[in-house]
Amino acid sequence: MIGPRIDRTTPVIVQGMTGRAGRLHTRLMREYGTNIVAGVSPKSENREVDGIPIFADCRRAVEATGATTCVAFVGAYDLLQAMEDAIGGGVRYVVTPTEGMPVHDALRVKRLMADVGATWVGASTPGMAVAGEAKLGFLPNDALLPGGLGLMSKSGTLSYESGYRLAQHGIGTSVWVGVGGDPVKGVRYADLVPFFAADERTRGVLVIGEIGGHEEEDFAAALTAQKFSKPVFALIAGRTAPSGVAMGHAGALVHGSHGTFEAKRTALEAAGVTVFDTLNAMVEGIASRI
Amino acid sequence: MYLLEHDAKTLLAERGIPVPAGCLVEAGGKLDERTLPPGPWIVKGQIAAGGRGKAGIIKKAATGAEARDLASAMLGRTVREKRVEAVRIEQQVAGAEEAYIGLILDAAAGGVRVIVSERGGVDVEALPRDAIRSETVLPQREALLAAVERLVAGMAPHKAAALRGAAAGLAALFLEGEALLIEVNPLFVRPDGTWVAGDAKMVTDDSALERQPGQRELLAARAKAYTEAALKHDHGFDYVVVDPEGEIGLLTTGAGLSMMLIDELRAAGLKPFNFLDIRTGGLRGETTRLVKVLQWIGEAPRVRVVLINIFAGITELGEFSKLLVSAIAQAPALKVPVVARLVGNGLPAAQAVLSEAGIALHTDLDAALADVRGHLS
Repeated sequence: MIGPRIDRTTPVIVQGMTGRAGRLHTRLMREYGTNIVAGVSPKSENREVDGIPIFADCRRAVEATGATTCVAFVGAYDLLQAMEDAIGGGVRYVVTPTEGMPVHDALRVKRLMADVGATWVGASTPGMAVAGEAKLGFLPNDALLPGGLGLMSKSGTLSYESGYRLAQHGIGTSVWVGVGGDPVKGVRYADLVPFFAADERTRGVLVIGEIGGHEEEDFAAALTAQKFSKPVFALIAGRTAPSGVAMGHAGALVHGSHGTFEAKRTALEAAGVTVFDTLNAMVEGIASRI
Repeated sequence: MYLLEHDAKTLLAERGIPVPAGCLVEAGGKLDERTLPPGPWIVKGQIAAGGRGKAGIIKKAATGAEARDLASAMLGRTVREKRVEAVRIEQQVAGAEEAYIGLILDAAAGGVRVIVSERGGVDVEALPRDAIRSETVLPQREALLAAVERLVAGMAPHKAAALRGAAAGLAALFLEGEALLIEVNPLFVRPDGTWVAGDAKMVTDDSALERQPGQRELLAARAKAYTEAALKHDHGFDYVVVDPEGEIGLLTTGAGLSMMLIDELRAAGLKPFNFLDIRTGGLRGETTRLVKVLQWIGEAPRVRVVLINIFAGITELGEFSKLLVSAIAQAPALKVPVVARLVGNGLPAAQAVLSEAGIALHTDLDAALADVRGHLS
């Protein structure tokens, strides 16, 4: 079973720590509470950044620190190699915020992850967080209130807006996973159903979906198969998007009758999920139930 | 990028996959009858969408004059919300049966779904289930070919041979061209087992464009046919006009939130003009992207107000507001009022910058929408 829960003691490696984004987000993650113990940068001359040791590859970082969790801040065309380095080096939980990873690279990584039984969150994700403990990536602090709602989202921004509004209503999150907007990805909604079913701190689940693909439909099927008993809510973006055009996310693409809002709503409702039309209705609806 | 049939066939032919001889006539250009292959012909309007036959942009022509007239009648027409900018005229294939072969990315499984059928020509989804054979396998040449080998077992020998032959070229193109989908429907099969790709549909990965020079050339040659991909490639952000008659220009970041905002505006009876994921994280202190978008929105005939909606997780809103004010000054086409709704990092600084520039700032989206309605009434 995939267990995304981390806490403030989980040791974390940052790949690409000496780059612009890597440096910035290492600082912000640490300020939030994430226990970053090592950086990886194959080409850097630096031996450390802000007191954190830098290694040439993941194997050395894992050997020196024992960390098996990493966040990769590397470019889209370098991500495949970075992830091969991570998995080959012994990392077993990888979060990749990178946008625009080539799909065929993602296919290779997916296979690699499955072969060793590793967990991959991303690509094209703001990351994941356990509010009040630690975050991997850059979910905004304003939206991270500790609480009982499990949250999964393809979209970063729509989840920020949702998490922020829920937090203003006193509703916090248990574990928040941005699964990302790419078609071929690591963890999908359905993969996390067993975890949220078993997680005692999760009292309900919110899925923020969007048009394209059939991940929401697969999630609905997984809920039914799991006999999931906690309340589940959903917000789906793109109801009025034109057909045949990818709306920002490569995965957000409707072709004919595939991936439509209606198909997703029907499947989710059949599995007992409450599907909301607007952000306001979602916040009020969840506030009345959780 | 959903390739035009002509471009897909060009890529197929480069891989040695036989396609009917043909030529392309573009809007504004003239048909040079010397480039025509021997007739009779089929005249096919080129748009990146299916259902072209039903929409009346695939027609047969017996004479050169007829082909020319059909082509000029098709050029410039708008079909399925897309303008026909080019027409392919190709040789008809006579005396052949039809089959189907498709290689389609299976995102959930992390593999490729191989689909074949002894019947082709119609929408494959419309075929009875037992007429379609499919298998999902690893994205590797040997695996794809082995799947086709299993799937054609028991078919009429000439059809099995044609599907096998087509699969070899298509698998190579799918893998090396980093395709998301390739479909040949119909695959024309002659009684002697020779075959030709009657139609070709190919969807490529925009994220792989930098290492696919052939696809980049197609994009450069026909930017009009591939508006969204060209824009993303040239400018690094996503912009889609969702309603040319729209009244609200949107300056937004984040695909999900931008889509949701469009849905909510429409549900409230309002008319958004565009979708935009500007990627504030990629602005890097420059106004270029903002000026471009504000110019486009400013040039839209019906836009009467611009709504800015940014939830800043990382972006510093004070810095963003300075860029915004400077970009507005550099976008002379923009003459309508601007309403901003900003949340997050650096809000007080943003407040100071925007109020000096006379731009209304809200933190509550509903309040911003009320303001937008005020400008529209």
